[in-house]
Parts: sequence; C-alpha cells; structure tokens
Amino acid sequence: MKNIDPITVEVVRNAVNAYADEMATALCKSAYNMMIYEVRDFCCGLVDGEGRMISQNQGGLPIFLADLGVAVKDGIARYGLDGFAPGDVVIMNHGQVCGQHLNNIVIYAPCFHDGKVVAFAASRAHWVDVGGMRVGFGSVETTEIYQEGIQFRSLKIYEAGKRNETLWQIINDNVRFPEAALGDLRAQIACCQLGIRRFGELLRRYGRDTVEQCIHAVWEATEREARAFVAKIPDGLYEAESFLDNDGRTLDVKLRIKVKVMIDGDRMVIDFSHMNDQAPGPTNSGYSGGLAAARVAFKCLTQPHAPVNEGCFRPLELILPEGKIINAKAPAALGLWSIPLPTVIDTILKALAPVLPAQIPAAHKGDMGGCSISGYRPDGRRFLLMNIFGGGWGGRPHEDGESASVSICQGDVHSAPIELQEIQYPFLIERFALRTDSGGAGRYRGGLGVDMTYRALQRCVANVNCERTKDPPWGLGGGQPGAVNDATLIRGDGSERKLKKATGVVMQAGDRLTFSTAGGGGWGDPKSRERQSVADDVRAGYVSAAAARRDYGYDAAFEPTTE
Amino acid sequence: MSIVGVDIGGTFTDLVGYRDGAIITSKTSTVPADPTEGIAAALTLAGCDLAAMDELIHGSTIAINTVLESKGAKTALLTTQGMRDVYGVGRGNRPDAFNLFFHRPRPLVPRDLTFEIAERMNAAGEALVPLDPAEIAKLAPKLAAIGIEAVAVCFLHSYANPAHEVLAGAVLRRELPGLFVTLSHEILREFREYERTSTTVLNAFVGPRVSRYLSRLEGFAQNARFGGQIAIMRSNGGTMSAGEARRAPVAMMESGPVAGMIGAGRIAQLLGIERAIGFDMGGTTAKTSLITGGIPPIEEGYVIGDAFTGQPMQLPVVDIVEVGAGGGSIAWCDDRGGLHVGPISAGADPGPACYGRSGVEPTVTDADLMLGRLNDARFLGGHMRLDCARAEAALGKIGQKLGLDRMTAALGVATIVDSAMSLAVRAVSVKRGIDPRETTLIAFGGAGPLHAVSIAREISIPRVVVPKLPGAFSALGMLMAEWRQDFVRTLIGELGKVGMQAAATAFAELRDAGQAALARDRLAAGEFNFAADLRYRGQEHTIPIAVANPQDLATATDETRARFDAQHDRRYGHAAPDQSIEIVNLRLVVIVPRLEDTIGRWLAQPWQPDGDGAAAEQHRAVVFEDGKRPVETRILWRPHLPAGSEMAGPALIEEANSTTLIGPGDRATIDAYGNIVITLKDV
Repeated sequence: MKNIDPITVEVVRNAVNAYADEMATALCKSAYNMMIYEVRDFCCGLVDGEGRMISQNQGGLPIFLADLGVAVKDGIARYGLDGFAPGDVVIMNHGQVCGQHLNNIVIYAPCFHDGKVVAFAASRAHWVDVGGMRVGFGSVETTEIYQEGIQFRSLKIYEAGKRNETLWQIINDNVRFPEAALGDLRAQIACCQLGIRRFGELLRRYGRDTVEQCIHAVWEATEREARAFVAKIPDGLYEAESFLDNDGRTLDVKLRIKVKVMIDGDRMVIDFSHMNDQAPGPTNSGYSGGLAAARVAFKCLTQPHAPVNEGCFRPLELILPEGKIINAKAPAALGLWSIPLPTVIDTILKALAPVLPAQIPAAHKGDMGGCSISGYRPDGRRFLLMNIFGGGWGGRPHEDGESASVSICQGDVHSAPIELQEIQYPFLIERFALRTDSGGAGRYRGGLGVDMTYRALQRCVANVNCERTKDPPWGLGGGQPGAVNDATLIRGDGSERKLKKATGVVMQAGDRLTFSTAGGGGWGDPKSRERQSVADDVRAGYVSAAAARRDYGYDAAFEPTTE
Repeated sequence: MSIVGVDIGGTFTDLVGYRDGAIITSKTSTVPADPTEGIAAALTLAGCDLAAMDELIHGSTIAINTVLESKGAKTALLTTQGMRDVYGVGRGNRPDAFNLFFHRPRPLVPRDLTFEIAERMNAAGEALVPLDPAEIAKLAPKLAAIGIEAVAVCFLHSYANPAHEVLAGAVLRRELPGLFVTLSHEILREFREYERTSTTVLNAFVGPRVSRYLSRLEGFAQNARFGGQIAIMRSNGGTMSAGEARRAPVAMMESGPVAGMIGAGRIAQLLGIERAIGFDMGGTTAKTSLITGGIPPIEEGYVIGDAFTGQPMQLPVVDIVEVGAGGGSIAWCDDRGGLHVGPISAGADPGPACYGRSGVEPTVTDADLMLGRLNDARFLGGHMRLDCARAEAALGKIGQKLGLDRMTAALGVATIVDSAMSLAVRAVSVKRGIDPRETTLIAFGGAGPLHAVSIAREISIPRVVVPKLPGAFSALGMLMAEWRQDFVRTLIGELGKVGMQAAATAFAELRDAGQAALARDRLAAGEFNFAADLRYRGQEHTIPIAVANPQDLATATDETRARFDAQHDRRYGHAAPDQSIEIVNLRLVVIVPRLEDTIGRWLAQPWQPDGDGAAAEQHRAVVFEDGKRPVETRILWRPHLPAGSEMAGPALIEEANSTTLIGPGDRATIDAYGNIVITLKDV
C-alpha cells in the first residue's frame, strides 16, 4: 500500500462528511413533510460496496446510526454488485430486514466509477403515511406488520434511469398522502443523486485506490480512538434494569429492560439476553433497534463529537438473541419501534455509572415525546399534525440537567413553531410552559419537562403514545427521580381523562389535549445543593416554595434574602 | 464626493478616505472608554477635516461585543399569555447530538423578567383576546422599579397583525419615556415565534448601549462641523443611517467584518479568482469567509456566539467563521504545562507588553516582535515605538513556567496562534469539501499578512494575495458598501389563488416601509427589488423568486411558476411543474447605489510606486523555524516596489500599517495593480 499523504487523507475525510451534510441539506430543504424538514427524522450518507458506512450526516436522528448498510446489503445480496446499472434507484422498508416501522423508507442509488459500482448514496426518511390501519403512525392496535402498511423489499423504483411506473402507481394508490409521499421520494432520490455526483468527483480527482485507502485510514484511526477510551474503563461486568409501562395493548403488564455490559480490555460487549421477550403489541423493533440503542450509548461515551463512520463501532459487540423486544421475529408489529430505545440507552448508561461516575448524568425523560392528530379540512382534504416535545434531562455530576430538550434518540430534532402549527392546522396552542417541580431534586437538579396544550377548533382524531408514565426518570448518587410523562384530555364540558397510550381518540371543537413531559432525575443529595441555587430556582418558578421545603429543606423565611 | 470610512476594532481604529481623487489612510489605537477619541486621533493623523467630507461610514463591534461579553441592558420580555417559556425553551433540539453534557442557548432575559400579557391573535391576524392598554400601564411602574432599561415585545402572530404590539409599545413609550422598546414586527415580520423573539430580545439587549454610543458619535461629528451623512455598516453588507441603527442595532452585529469581505470579493473579481478565502486578522479575532465568484456569502439566519449555545438571529448576515485569535491575544500556561493563546486579548488597553503601557502579559505581537518579524521603529507607520525589552521580559516569564528559553517560547506562541487560525480557514474550506489547493487566501487586517503564509502552508493553500492597504482593508471595504435595507412580510397563500387584494396590500405595505426608511434617511430614491418566498404545497423551506408586482403572485403567474420550477431543479435536482405552489413571505430589498465606484476604480488602476527613496532596503535577523538560528532576511518597503518586482523568501515587506512575511523558498511578485501575490513553495 503506497504511502498516502496526510493532507489527502484530511481532504477525503472532511469531503465525505461534507457530502453527507450537503445531501441532508438538500433533502431537508425540498422535503414535503414536517417529520423530515422540521423534526429531521431522516439520515443520509455514503455506504461502500460491502455495505460499510463511509460517512453519515451530522445532526440527524442518533438512532439512525446503525444500519443504512443493512438495507443496502439486502439489495446487494439480491442483485449482486454487477446487477446494478447507472441510474438505478432502490426503495426499501422491509420490516424483517430493516427492523423499524414501515414509515422509514430507505432510498439508495449506486455510484459508478470506471464502469463498476464503488459505493452507494443512501437516505432514510420518515414518510407521513404508508397505509395501514391508522393515519400516519403510532397506532397501538396492531399485532402484525401487515396491518402497518405497505412493504418494499429492495425494489428498483428506477432502472437505468427509467421510472418503474407500476411501482410508482402502487405507492400513489396505497398511501394516504400521495402528494407528500411522492414529493419526499423525489427529494430522497435527488439527495442520493447529489451524493453520487459529489463522490464521483472525489474519485475522479484522486483515483479510486487513493480514496479507498484514505477511507480505510480514517476508519482505523476512528477505531483506535474508540478502543483507547474503552481501555480506560475498568474491566468487569456491569448491569442495570428498568421498566417500560406496557406494549400498548396489555396496559397493566410492564416490560423489563435488562442490560449487562462487559468491559474486556478495549472491547465492550453489551448483552441483551435478559431483555423482555417480544410483545404482542407494536413496541417491538428488529435487530437494528437493539443495535441502534447500543451504538448511541457507545458513541455518547467514546466519541461524542466525531463524525460517524464504520470505524466507530468496531470495539462494540452485541449479544442479542432473536425473539426479544429489540430483536423481534417476523411478523411482529413494529409500529412503535423506537419507544423503548431511550430507556434502553439510559439503562446501558446506568449500568456503567458506578465505574464512570464523572461521565454519566441521571436519567432523562425517557420517551420520544410525539403527538399526531389528524382530521379533514372543510374542503375535504385530510390533514395530519405531528410534533415532538422535549423534556427534562438528568442532573449531571457537576451541573443541573437541561430542560425541555428532545430525547437521547433525537439529536437535532426541532419542535414545530407554534405559529407554524396554527397557520397550517385547526388548533390553538394555549399554553407552552415549563412544568414547575418536574425536575428531580438533587445537588444538581434534573431539567424540567414542559406542558403543551392544544385546543381543537374542529373535529379531529388523536393518537397518544406516552411511555414511562409509571417508572420515573431515576436519580443518581442520592438524587431524586423526575416527574413522569403524562397526557390529559379535557372535554369542552370540563370533564378530564388521562391518556397514556391511546389510538383514535376523537376530539371535538373546544376539547383540549395537554401533553406533559417528564423531568430529568436529580444528581446527588438535594440537601447538599447550594442554597443560592435553590433560591434562584424558587424565584424563577422552576421549584415551588413547598417543594423547596420538602426536597431541599429550604425555607425562604429562614434564609438571608438574596435579591 | 468625499467619503471616509472608520472601522473600530477591539485593538485598532482604522480609517480610509477618498478625497480630491486621492486615498487617505491612518491607523490608531482604539480608545475603549471613548471610541470617538480614537476616531478623532485617526482623522488628525490622516489629515482629514471632517467638515470637508460628505459621508462618514462607520463599522463597529459594539453590538456583537455587548452580547458576547453580556454587557447589555437589563431587559424584560413581554409575551402572549401562556407563552412565557417560548423564549427560554427554544426549539428543544440538541445539535450536539451525542454529547450527554450538551448545553442549550442561554436566554438573555431570565424567566422572572418575562411577563405574560393577556392578548391573543390567531394566524389570520384576528384578535381573539383584545389587549387592554391598562394592563401595560399597570406593568410600567413595576418595570421601572426593578430597573429595567429595555423591553422586548413579541406577541404570537404579530407578523400577521401587529396592532397589539403597536398598542403595547405606545403605552410603554408614553409611561416610560427613557425606556428602550423593541417591538418584534418592527424588526422582523415573519412567522416562527422563537427566532423572532430571540432577534427582538437581541435588539433590546444591545439597544441602550448602542444608542449611547451613536449619540456620542453624532455629537462628535457635530462638534467637528460635519454636515454630511453618517452611515453605519450592517451585517448584510449594506449601510444604514445612524437613526436606523439606533432603532434596529441588531442589524449591525457583524458590522465590522462584513466590509473587509466585500473588499476581498472585489479583489477576487479583479484577479479572476473563482474560490477565494478572505482572511482578516486584527488585534482580537481572526475571521474567514469563503468567497465564490467574488461574492461574499449572505445567509438568512445566524447565531451570535457559539453554534450550539449562541443566540439565534433571523436576519441576513454575511457568513463568516471567527476565532478568538489576533495580535493582541494573550499567551498563557495551564496547570499541566500546556501553552495556549487567546481568546483573551490585551486589546488596545493595556495592549501587548511591547506597547509600553501597563500590559505585562505576552501576546502574539510580542512574539512577532521578538522573532524579528515586526519592526520596532515602523509600527503604525512609525507612530508607535515598540519596546523589545518588555516583550522579551513577558515571553521570558512564560518561558520560565514552561522550561523554555524565551525565543522558543515566542516561536511556540506564533505556531499555536497560526494553528488556531488555520482551524477557522479550514472551517470554510476543507470542512465544506473544498480542496484548499484550489483556493487563494486573500489576507488583510493589521496582522493578517504577517501570519497568512504560515496558515496557508498549514492547510496547503498554494497562493496568498495581500491587497493594497491591508491594515485598513475593512475601512476601505466600507467605502464600497451601498445603502441597503431588507424587509420581509409573511403572506400565506397559493400562487395564482392568493387574493389580488391581499397581494396588493403586502406589496403596498413593504413599499411604504421601504419609502419610509428612505425618507427617514433623507434619500430621494432607491432600487426596489421584490421577491416572494415560494415552495411546493406541503414543503416547508422556500426559495426566494424575484417578482415585480401583485399580478405576478395573483393573476399572471406563469413566469413566476417557471422561474420557481427552474430554481428548484437547479438547487435540489428535481421539480414538480404539476403541483401547486405556496407563497409564504414577500421580501423587499431597497438599495441606493453609490453614485460612483471610486474605490473599485482605485483598486483596478495600474500600480504606481512611490519612489521618494526615503527608505532603503534593510536586513534583519528573523526567526522562522529554529529559535537558535535566525535567518538574515531582506526587509523591503512596499511603496517602493514597482509592478512586476519579484522576490524570493525569506523576506519581509513592510508598509505603514502592516507587514507581509514571505517564508524561505516562497516567491512573491507585485502584480500590475500593486497587490502582493505570494506563491508558496511545495504546496
């Protein structure tokens, strides 16, 4: 292998990352649904001819770390590398292979150099609707993947540049918002074509051998850095356990999340053998769910700031038997595939907290915090409002947790602007406020959750998927737990009803639905919190005077005034 | 037309003027306590009588520094009932996605100074809950009692109907005449409550301090019997009146840096450089921008401060990456014996140790002096004598902590600051997939030409251009800026179906706003350019498409549609000519072009050396790579060098307010226009 100069390695390393980010910008700016352009529920990047990750965009959904390669490998197995032609575009969302809900559509296209496939540009994005029992996603009623929408397993939507009109028509006729779905499809295709064009330019400039050598050099350097971090953790077997509310169908049966983490030199093995078995309801994921959770936790600990590539996860091994809630067998329902993942990730971190005391915060809000409400406009057109809410993050070994931030699975996901929602949908948002006393008490307080109240201006139907409404975000080091997630429906006549997981809840004009998100756990003994910080919290209204007395032993009447 | 531009940075005040067909220039120390003293000194030094000038253009870092240093006014925020936490919470996103210890933007107004007001508009601009002026009147004494100096008012949907903001503002201004009040719709008539609130708060937060500053400037100009216009540089690359700057100081956040990049763009055009990297190194910070086709990039939306925790500002701003490294950056030593440079700067006061004021900490300038790269007798055109002994003492002190001799310490300081600045250059090139080997670095700012070659070498940029007057290049750029104001108004509808009345109203409102702005600045006429933000129905992001009149949106829309489809295809690689198109905003840019492009002509005219022979070629020992082995180096005087001169490094080219370093083995020529063009060895 000839010696490649470090400048070229640097250029290639940064170029492939920049291309992934450029693809993301193009997708985001021309997408048709807010799950992509506001919520940023997508990822894109470059994958090599063996399905290994060359680069992935930054700022997308962390749980999409895992497996663009898995989708592409299925296509390679089906067609062979020689079975692709320039101008091919493949569509893929197969539940068994991808392991996620069917809304997550992967589109990818081969990149040719000197007549051979050298890589693929790929994107995964959340489509508004893919058919199935309920509008959008998030139904708790499904028990089989077939109820959740249409599946495409590595089908060519374009062959050598020619559109497959039959397949296009099938999509058009089987989803509820074809204009949006086909718009997103076009945006994803264009995003992949941009990736192909950029990577092709790089290959022409430096030659295939040099580019591939650079990519491998980057993978190896990334791997070394990750291994060096793992090697610093004391060897041993660490474990932790937590519980989810239910599978969405049998509401009084909790699901066990049990994790063992083994550190052996510079290897980390995460063992999910003792997880809950797969559930009859839709809170299952395929293998990629377990893989994503393990990878997010691993990345947060080892290389939180570096771009993602194949080298990042080489020191990480998984034990994940089939039939578990995060590696469910077909035809399991996958509609709420991501709901357990924030808790799984927090539990991995909790297992390691005793040996990494300075690096692990208390638990965060622990659910995905979404809502989806649909209905028909007066002109007969269907609408679907979706939004994501942040919640509290856990207190840290050295400072308070952040408030009202999206979950660990949702990086650069943005909540939708209130004005935008009111422009587009028949609602008034009456209140958006931090929840007083929702942050777990501690030397370093957990962050606060939020309340958001929607008042319906016409008839509509809501799907609610609150998780962790029973077991609150835990504290660490003597800190107290945060408040749990919640949702409350208040009818026009004033009657109230708590909703946890509920599908197809009819709202009439004047009904109100309030989403309340969890607060983070506290870190350390609340009694040792700086008195000034407690006083500041009371003044700002983060902590009530009553809670200050109860949790912190603080009584303003007996403290020197601070104003 | 006689014009003068003054750029006040953290360390130096730079002046460039054009008078009677000639360029005048000067550079003096900034006087932080009273910047107008620095301006007075610069005018005197340049021999410029303000009374004889027609226009004074000014750029200042006052607004941005007020935010970065948290020195703004005690500010309160008035929001719609129920929306108290919109500003504090923001959008909930975590761009630092895998960092368990991420931080969110820190609000400039604390929660206990945020007041909810009973009022509500809906998205159509209909008042659901009327605002009761008595509620505002009741709040006023409370605000006064807690010492509030500025108030930001941002109500939901005020872009659609600002009536409640207007009423609240009127009551506040009546009850508390000294209060600085900013109403969100006056800054930005665009939906997205968080970003609009943040922009409004920024304006209020910096308002009182910027107002005091501008009053002092106007008072100074008046005393100097200046009868012309004062123009303030704004972040969008244009200028505005002092009155407008007092009303909307948030528009001058990147007031200083933008002008230098305008100048660098003109040099790139002149020399036919497709991809140039503007590099501006002053006393406190270094700034870079990727200039493509001679145009500095202007972005809609920006973050003041760190990308993850800074303050969002929804206004057009030139896209610049900045690092806290400049000539005044202080070198310091951490507990583990690591050497660091910046971001703290000695600024103008106390200044680097070698200035001989009260500064004792070693700075980059002290290191440059010790390494022989700066001339102690010619600094600031010989107006400031540098004290070598004090520089040596300061570097000796830090060297002792590190166990290094002082020359090695000086070399270390220079190396570290170059590497920090190269990160900013990297951020606008390599990080965006641009191969630096296909770019040219255009270096300016007092310290830029001295450090440019070593930064270029670090990231493999083969060519460096140092324009004329590099030490006052930002002030020079100001003289090329045009009066410009951007307006936006949300207008929601479908192309071809939006009511003619609604479209005409939006056009009329923007036109009136533009004409009012021209009238406020006593300008007779300007170019009005309208554009509509369009998208396919269901999309969110828009593309601005030029339109001329309401008909282009309401009735005769074929051409608008064709332009949008083409732009969409060009940008994103696909289009949907069969789908309906939505209108989101109407925009207006009003420009008053300069009557004559005097500075552009001056940059392009054939270079005439100044052959008075006063300064002969000198030689000096300069340290490049080895502190123990200084290299005997030619010292040239730039004004003497004729076009076509060729020099081999090592060499230093000195001029009044800057020094260009040419490394061993590098080659430099003076081009036909007088620019220094350096070709690096082995890059």
